[in-house]
Amino acid sequence: MAVLSIDTSAAVAVAVVSETGERLAARSVDERRRHAESLAPLVTAVLADAGTDRTALTAVVAGTGPAPFTGLRAGLVTARTLALALGVPVLGVPSLDALAVQAVADLGLAPDDEVLVAADARRKEVYWARYRVVSHESTHGVPVVEAVAGPDVAKAADVAAGLAERPSAGRLAVVGEGASLYADVLDLDEDAPLLPDPAVLARVALQRRDAGQELPTEPLYLRRPDVHVPAGGPRVVPATGAVAG
Amino acid sequence: MGGMASGDPLVLGIETSCDETGVALVRGNELLVDATASSMDEHARYGGIIPEVASRAHLEAMIPTIGKALGQADVDLSEVDAIAVTAGPGLVGPLTIGTSAAKALAVGLNKPLYGVNHVIGHAAVDQLVDGEFPERVMALVVSGGHSSLLLVDDVATKVTELGSTLDDAAGEAFDKVGRLLGLPYPGGPHIDRLAREGDPEAIRFPRGLTAAKDQEKHAYDFSFSGLKTAVARWVESCRDSGREVPVGDVAASFAAAVVDVLTAKTIAACRRHEVETLVVGGGFSANSQLRELAAKRCAEAGIDLRIPPIRYCTDNGAMIAALGSAVVRAGVAPSSLDFGVDSQMPLTTVSL
Ligand SMILES: Nc1ncnc2c1ncn2[C@@H]1O[C@H](COP(=O)(O)OP(=O)(O)OP(=O)(O)O)[C@@H](O)[C@H]1O
Ligand SMILES: [Mg+2]
Repeated sequence: MAVLSIDTSAAVAVAVVSETGERLAARSVDERRRHAESLAPLVTAVLADAGTDRTALTAVVAGTGPAPFTGLRAGLVTARTLALALGVPVLGVPSLDALAVQAVADLGLAPDDEVLVAADARRKEVYWARYRVVSHESTHGVPVVEAVAGPDVAKAADVAAGLAERPSAGRLAVVGEGASLYADVLDLDEDAPLLPDPAVLARVALQRRDAGQELPTEPLYLRRPDVHVPAGGPRVVPATGAVAG
Repeated sequence: MGGMASGDPLVLGIETSCDETGVALVRGNELLVDATASSMDEHARYGGIIPEVASRAHLEAMIPTIGKALGQADVDLSEVDAIAVTAGPGLVGPLTIGTSAAKALAVGLNKPLYGVNHVIGHAAVDQLVDGEFPERVMALVVSGGHSSLLLVDDVATKVTELGSTLDDAAGEAFDKVGRLLGLPYPGGPHIDRLAREGDPEAIRFPRGLTAAKDQEKHAYDFSFSGLKTAVARWVESCRDSGREVPVGDVAASFAAAVVDVLTAKTIAACRRHEVETLVVGGGFSANSQLRELAAKRCAEAGIDLRIPPIRYCTDNGAMIAALGSAVVRAGVAPSSLDFGVDSQMPLTTVSL
């Protein structure tokens, strides 16, 4: 009885945890553009590391981002299809949520402290969300956090300006790779977690599942597709007829 | 149907190279089911396929389409013996969804995976309709992205590319001429319809790469961009002189030029390589002018013409399952789980 967890919001990260949330095995490769190549071999490797047969899996967990689209989708379609093949449920958790939960443990945060999580959104922007710590620990050894703003995508400087406008009552921790990339404007905590840990992602999923929450695996894109409408393009003569353009 | 007694493996095929999400089940040369979802409606207003829009639609459609295929065929995933998926050519984002799903099925079911070539799939699908290919066939694959002439010694292991388009594919040329005539996207089917009402000999448009000087280097290559420009100029000067554009005649004369070159070169290649069977596939083989002229010229040349019905010619899972089935039956080694999609996959590579 074990749970497989996949996060492709940044690197390719995979873990197997027990039903109680204990980490049995984990692997990641810091590939930002080859998720679809790396992921399936990593899944088989981590199952072997854990000594877990695929048929012993009881759920598949996936990080839903927000994240660059192609890698994110590779993780989500893999998780969904693997769950279908194994006949088990697939549970989605925003990848930023995992980082917020990691921050509570890693930085020793207390209830009512806040966490700003920022991830790399490329194009000189970050994906961000702000959380309040609800409780230090609950089932599956997972701290409980609640999103108070975001997720959204913005320039790091604009996120920093937003923080200045609405300071936290308690401590405000700043974590995530997005904050380390833009450390000139975002005040990254020392020892802050930078990337989502798929084992933590799995624990959050199990805790939420047991609390009866819905865990959809819809991707958090936060950006519209780039649509390049051909402006006349190869049209050499003006269009006539019923449907121009 | 699921429990049918047959020695051949049951192959599940997944296609996501462009805007269609296709999932099909094939055993031997028998198609059990072919399920498709399409995002074409979302692209039509942009006048072309938007890769990110297609990728999002593939992610949404993947599980429902697999479910639909299994449900309609009354097959359980545990009965599937092998997975085939389009590895290329095509759009990277869309291909990534299909290959990721296929890899997950292979891991989840512990079954072999075959990353196969989309364009060769357009030819292989004919085996589901007209049966196993004879010893050697010529394949003309004509679609929105390709116009290629392939000598197929063995569809699973030995395909030689004799020629292909140097610029626009046949379907692409139709779509571009459709646009300059102000027709909705994709223009191909509209030109086909208008051409049936026009005179194919009204205007003499150029036949690309048919001059004597091209025979040596480009005997089996195609070029349609000069033709497209000629049509544009003709229409333009017609409008400039204040005459109404005879849309039917333009469409018919343009279509005649395209299918004349396609069929003439293909039949010359059949003769030269002593091949007696021609397979035509790809979305453009829906074109009625091509079907008519190919039938006529093949009959004259004593060539057995195989063109599957239109629903097999567009992108679908059946073509990938059909090719996968051929590759599995030929005993080809499966693809490794770490293969990447190849947007420019060479037409000589059947499987990875
Ligand atoms: N009846 C027709 N006459 C002319 N062209 C047609 C007809 N029906 C479809 N087409 C053209 O066929 C093309 C679509 O074919 P298909 O879906 O196989 O292409 P694709 O999948 O975009 O390309 P590829 O298979 O190379 O990736 C379009 O260009 C369309 O206009
Ligand atoms: Mg196609």
